[in-house]
Order: sequence, then structure tokens, then C-alpha cells
Amino acid sequence: MLNIALIGNPNSGKTTLYNELTGSNQSVGNWPGVTVEKKSGKLKSKNVEANIIDLPGIYSLSTISLEEEVAAKYIYNKEMDLIINIVDASNLERNLFLSLQLLESNVPMIIALNAMDIVERKQETIDIAELSKLIDVPIIPISASKKIGMDHLIEKIEQFDYKKERMVIKYNKEIEFTIEKFNKYLKDRYVSIRFLEDGLKAIDNVSLSRADTAKLLEEFHNESSKYNLDFDMVLPNARYQKIIDLVNKTHKKSDLQKESNTDKIDKILTHRIFGLPIFGFIMFSVFFLAFGPIGTLITNQFVWLINQFFTWIINGVASLGMADYIASLITNGIFGGLAAVVGFLPQLAILFFALAVLEDSGYMARAAFIMDRALRRFGLSGKSFIPMLIGFGCSVPAMASTRTLDNDEDRKITTMIIPFVSCGAKAPIYGVFAGALFGGGSFLVVFSMYVLGLLVAIFSAILFKKTMFRSAKANYIMELPEYRTPTLRNTLMHTWEKSKEFLVKAGTILLAAFIVIWFFSYFGVVDGTFRLLTDNEIGSSLLGSIGRFVLPIFKPIGFTDWQAVVAILTGIVAKESVVGTLGILYGVNGDVIQNGSLLYNSIQSNFTSAQAYAFMTFALLSTPCIAAVTAMKRELKSWKWFIFILVYELVVAYLLAFGIYQLASAPLGSTLTYLITAVIIIFVSIMTYKFFKQKGRMCGSCDSCKKTSACDLTKFIKYKEEISDDDKGNKKGE
Amino acid sequence: MLDMVNNRGFYTMTLKEIMPGQSCIVTQLFTNNLRKRIIDMGLITGTKIYVKKTAPLGDPMEIVVRGYALTLRKAEARTIMVERIEE
Repeated sequence: MLNIALIGNPNSGKTTLYNELTGSNQSVGNWPGVTVEKKSGKLKSKNVEANIIDLPGIYSLSTISLEEEVAAKYIYNKEMDLIINIVDASNLERNLFLSLQLLESNVPMIIALNAMDIVERKQETIDIAELSKLIDVPIIPISASKKIGMDHLIEKIEQFDYKKERMVIKYNKEIEFTIEKFNKYLKDRYVSIRFLEDGLKAIDNVSLSRADTAKLLEEFHNESSKYNLDFDMVLPNARYQKIIDLVNKTHKKSDLQKESNTDKIDKILTHRIFGLPIFGFIMFSVFFLAFGPIGTLITNQFVWLINQFFTWIINGVASLGMADYIASLITNGIFGGLAAVVGFLPQLAILFFALAVLEDSGYMARAAFIMDRALRRFGLSGKSFIPMLIGFGCSVPAMASTRTLDNDEDRKITTMIIPFVSCGAKAPIYGVFAGALFGGGSFLVVFSMYVLGLLVAIFSAILFKKTMFRSAKANYIMELPEYRTPTLRNTLMHTWEKSKEFLVKAGTILLAAFIVIWFFSYFGVVDGTFRLLTDNEIGSSLLGSIGRFVLPIFKPIGFTDWQAVVAILTGIVAKESVVGTLGILYGVNGDVIQNGSLLYNSIQSNFTSAQAYAFMTFALLSTPCIAAVTAMKRELKSWKWFIFILVYELVVAYLLAFGIYQLASAPLGSTLTYLITAVIIIFVSIMTYKFFKQKGRMCGSCDSCKKTSACDLTKFIKYKEEISDDDKGNKKGE
Repeated sequence: MLDMVNNRGFYTMTLKEIMPGQSCIVTQLFTNNLRKRIIDMGLITGTKIYVKKTAPLGDPMEIVVRGYALTLRKAEARTIMVERIEE
């Protein structure tokens, strides 16, 4: 069994190639960094058995982000038998940088030269045979998106000669001398080169005696003083020079420098004045499409269908004459809850579809570009915008996509605030409550929940940044990919993948959750005997007891009946189940969706407007569903942060729900008292914060700092200038 | 802020000060936490940069380097010393 790793720059078509080679359905986007975890699949070949491993897209083997670390570690440990390096032919110069780095290791390699169709369209040519000869590696021209050259590539993999030694790519004498110096201790040309480029970081995993390490460091010091260039630039510079040489020899660019389509589109979409309104319009359209009239219409039709189906099953179950508890489990437990959840699928699918179009076309990267300035105020980078936007659909993929952020603090902060961004699963809660109690203004109420979620997320981001991640610098450096027309196949695949994820969740975690809830709510002690309860006796259920027991805690935030408490509790298992649980608890199971007014009535008789709003607030902000909590733990990689954020969410949710309920239900005089108190508290906190800020000023980033005097960059530049002038003067003997 | 003339008689300025539509050549990179990334993306002493535009909110900026579009913040652009060149 061979292990073949797919390595290439972000957005070079790696995942598309992976899909073609393995035949599996991976989602492919058009913004740098779609592959956040490595995936593997079987090569579509009858002659060799091979695993294709899709590694995250990287620009270089110097580890800066998590993705690069994954790939670099993989190569260092030589975990693969063969590398397929995918190179974007339309961006040859930058792509070959990684190729040359990979060639410095002695792992067998094939280059798949992608996007050849674009090169041809631009009327350019690349002399592939010559390039292949110059760097001594097989190069196969392909076009992954148009499925050209796949057979050829697979054939090449099947016939690859593993015994052949590859020519070593040499740099100039000076650099070779330095590499040789390091190699004396490191005994591996690849590691020596990495050491030259990355310094100590490169030899973390190399076992060297203490004496050798000391000598090696001394050599490093000696060698670094020999060059005019900064030492960490020496090798990249040599490599780029080599690449320019290669490109000049093989790549014939067309003389006519036409304005590309991307330039034309960008003139409008990232326009100085129109860029922002267009961005707002696009985001609003996505939201409107999913939650506006069209989305609602499709949802209603879908729900009607689902209910026909479920009613048919429930009737069938009733006629079979099974034991009471089984019939109750199926009708009340499973279908009552699932109907509520699955009915929500169309809206999610629309949302996923819209996001897929934005992703595939390349607009997402522009969105990050446009939003960076605004998000930076909250200590986030433009890239954090994308996970947050995905967060409107579902927190789980949103958290997974934080891995594309460049630094750990950004990743942590973004992961921690995503649960506050109201995910799609919370929408039915607002829908039911707002529909029942706010009538015509219900759309505004729902919208206010989204705004509230965003505000809390932003406030939390600022708070985290200013307190716990004070030294963190939000970074942003991003490639803008060329625009592509999203293919229907790709977009639908994307949508299906994510919808499937949701359905699987509904069928597994949620199903189990509903069965547990059913058990707790349909079993209980009546007159001293523990037995199955009828719908009317639900008050005596186990869940009812628990709800009543913890009810006093929830009283101050407006929860007056245990049903509400229980619904919130089941929300921790899955937010989708809150409405379903309310349906079960108010005894309107199965009909919740088909006849919404049934649940409306129960809500109208059990909640005031203030209580409903507090309920929605608490549901929005408190601990997210189990799937999201699991994802959060995975991304934070730390129990400390994980527990902190869970507690933080509960506290914030409680305080805000408390504030809203008390304010909304109190008479005007008290409301004013509360408001003024709040203003004073906020004022004092800001002043306190300012006081502390003054005490401990740290130079995190030049960005928000207006004090040029505090920054000695100017002095530093002058100093550097002098030194380099002196150096040059000495060497040239001027 | 940086009224200095270097030994080749060029005004030394930072990438931040280059206006959209202008081109420049990298002379020096100062240390910042993205230095390694910037180097690997191809911004090395001697590399030509074309400044394409700034984002609607004035920051970040979009540059064309080695034939592709790269966006970076002005805070980072400030640490890249350049010489202006005429096209």
C-alpha cells in the first residue's frame, strides 16, 4: 500500500484534483485554505493500491500557521512514499517556490501542472519537457476542474520509478558552503537547508549532542554575518532567482497584456465607494434568500410533505397494536421531535448553497479584504469574517474553518465567539416565539436576535483581546484568487455535503437526544408507581421533576414554568430540539410544524412578551449544542479555555436575559432606574479600563497605535541604514 | 516621516506610502511577526511591487507581486522599505 501526499499552494486546485483522483466528494471552495484537516482516500487505479492524502494548502515549508505545520511535519517524518505537488501554471513563479523546497527533501515526487487550460487561454506556453529536465522531476500537465490529464497522471503514478535518484538542485557557491557547514552536524541536506531558512525552529526534532548544538549555533552566527542580505532571506532569494531563471527559459508569456476578467470584476466589487454597499447587499441577499419569503415558502411546502409522511407512519404504528411504550416512543419521542428538526432543512440548504456560491466564485476572499478594517477594531482579522459568516449556518464547520487563520490567538478568539453568532438551528426558536407573540413585528424581533448575537460576539472579542490575549497580534496577509464561475456540480456538492452533515446529526445525536427526552418526559411516578405516562400526566414526569427542581435559578430571568427550563436544558443537547421539546411538553407533538398555531397557543398562554424575549436571549447565548461544544474543544485544544468559554457563555446568557427581562417587565420608573444604573456601571468600567490600559501599554501592533513617539521604528530604520551603508562601504572599498 | 536619502540617492520610503497605481522595489524588510510569510510569498529585496488599490475602508492594500494579487495591511506595509520606480 502506497501513501501519496497531495501538496500544493492554497487555492491551486488541490482538493479538485483529490476528488478526481479518489472519486470522493470533498467540498471545494475558492478561497485560500479550504482543506483544514488532512483527508485520505483510495486512488482510482486498478494496478496499484494507494492512499491519497490531501494535505492543507501551504505556501512554504516554514511553519507559520497550523496548516503548514501539519504538512511540514509530514514531510519531515517522510510519512509518504510519493508527493504529488500540484502547481498552478497560471501562477508559476510563486508556486514553484514550494516545489523547490519539496525537491530539497529526497521524497519521490511528481509535479501536476494544473490550470493548463487558463495558460492556453491566455495564449501562453510552458515548455514542460524542458522544465521537467531542468529540475529533474516528472511533470504532468492537467486541468483538474476540466478533468483533463487525469488518466495520464494516474498512469504516471502507476509506473513511477522509485529507485531513481533525483538530481540535487544546487545554489551558488556561497550558499552551498553554508549548507555544507551545517550539514557537518545535521547530516541531512534537507534539514540543513531548513535550518538555514528557519533557524532553531527547524531542528526541534533533531537529536544533537549539546556540544554539537553549540558548535552549530556558532556556525550559524558566523555564516549569517557573511551575507549582505538578511540571513533568513538568503535562501528564499536564491530560490526565487533560480525560479525566475527556470520560468524565463520555459514560460512564453503573451505580449498582449490584456486586462483580465478578475481585474474588471474587482473594479466594481472592491470599488472604493461601491465595494461596501455591494458587500452589504450581497450579505443581505443571502440572509433574505434563506429567511425571507422565498425561504419560508419552500420551508412550508417541505414541512407539509414531511408531515404527510410522518402522519402516515404514525397512523401505521397505531394500527399495528404494539406495546404502549413502543408506540409512544415512535410517535411522541422520535417523530414528534424529528419533524421539527427536519422541517428546518430547506432554509439551511439555501444558506449553504449561497455560501458555496460565494466561496467557489472567490468573493469570500474579497469579503475578507473589504471587512478587514472593520473587524480589526474588534481585534480580529478579515479572515475571521468567513468563519463568522459560516457561523450563521452552523457553528461546527465555522469552528473548523478557523484553522485557516494565521495565528493561534485569532483562532481561539474566533472559535470562542462563534457560538454567539446565531446559528441556523436557533432560527426555529425565534420563529415560533416571535410568530406567537410579536405578530407583525416578528421579523424585526428575529432580526434583533441576530444583531444581539453579533453584538455579544464583538463585545466578547474585544474583551478577550484586551484582557487575556493582550500581546496577540491579529494578522492578515492574503492572496486574492482569480474569480471563477462556480460550477453547478461543485456548488450542489458543497450544499449536499453540509446538509448531509446536518441530517446525519439529526439522525444520530438528535435521535438519541429525543429518545432520552421522551423517556424522561413520558415516564414518572404517579401515586407511588413508576410507569409510562399519558399526555395529560406529563407534569409528573422525571423531566418535570428536574425542571421544577432547577426552576428557582431561572425565575429571575423570567422562566415561570418548568417546561421552558426543560426545553432550554434539551437545547444543550441540540438547539434544534428546543422547539420540538416545547411541542412535546405542551402536548402538541407531531403537530408543532403542521399547525404552528397549536404551539402558538401554548406559548401565548405561558409566556409574556418579556419572558419570550428573555427566553430567546438565553437560548441564543447559552452553551451551544453538543456538536458545537465538541468542535470547540477540538479547536481550542485546551481544557482551560474550553471550560472558561462554557462558563462565560452561561454567565453572559444569564446576565443578559436577566437584564432584558427585568427591564422589559418593570414599570417605567424602575426601568429608568435600571438604565441609569447600567450607564453608570458602564461608564465606571470604561474609566477603570482606561486606567489599567495606561499602566500597562504594550506594543502589540502598530495598527491602532497613534503614538509615533512610542515607536522606535524610525530610529531602528536609521540604525539599520547606517550599518548597511557601512558594510557596503567597507566591501566596495569606497 | 522618513525623509532619508539612501546611498543610491533614492528616497527611502515604506510600501505604505506608495499610492495606488505606482510601482516600487523592495529594499528592506523589517522584523514583524509576518516576516517569514512575507518572504516566502516572494517579497524579497529587489522584488518589484505594483500597488493596485486599497480596500473601501482604506486598509488593507492590494499589491501585485510576482504576477499574483496579494493583500496586506498598512501596518505590515509600513515595515517594508521600498524605492519608488517609474513605469
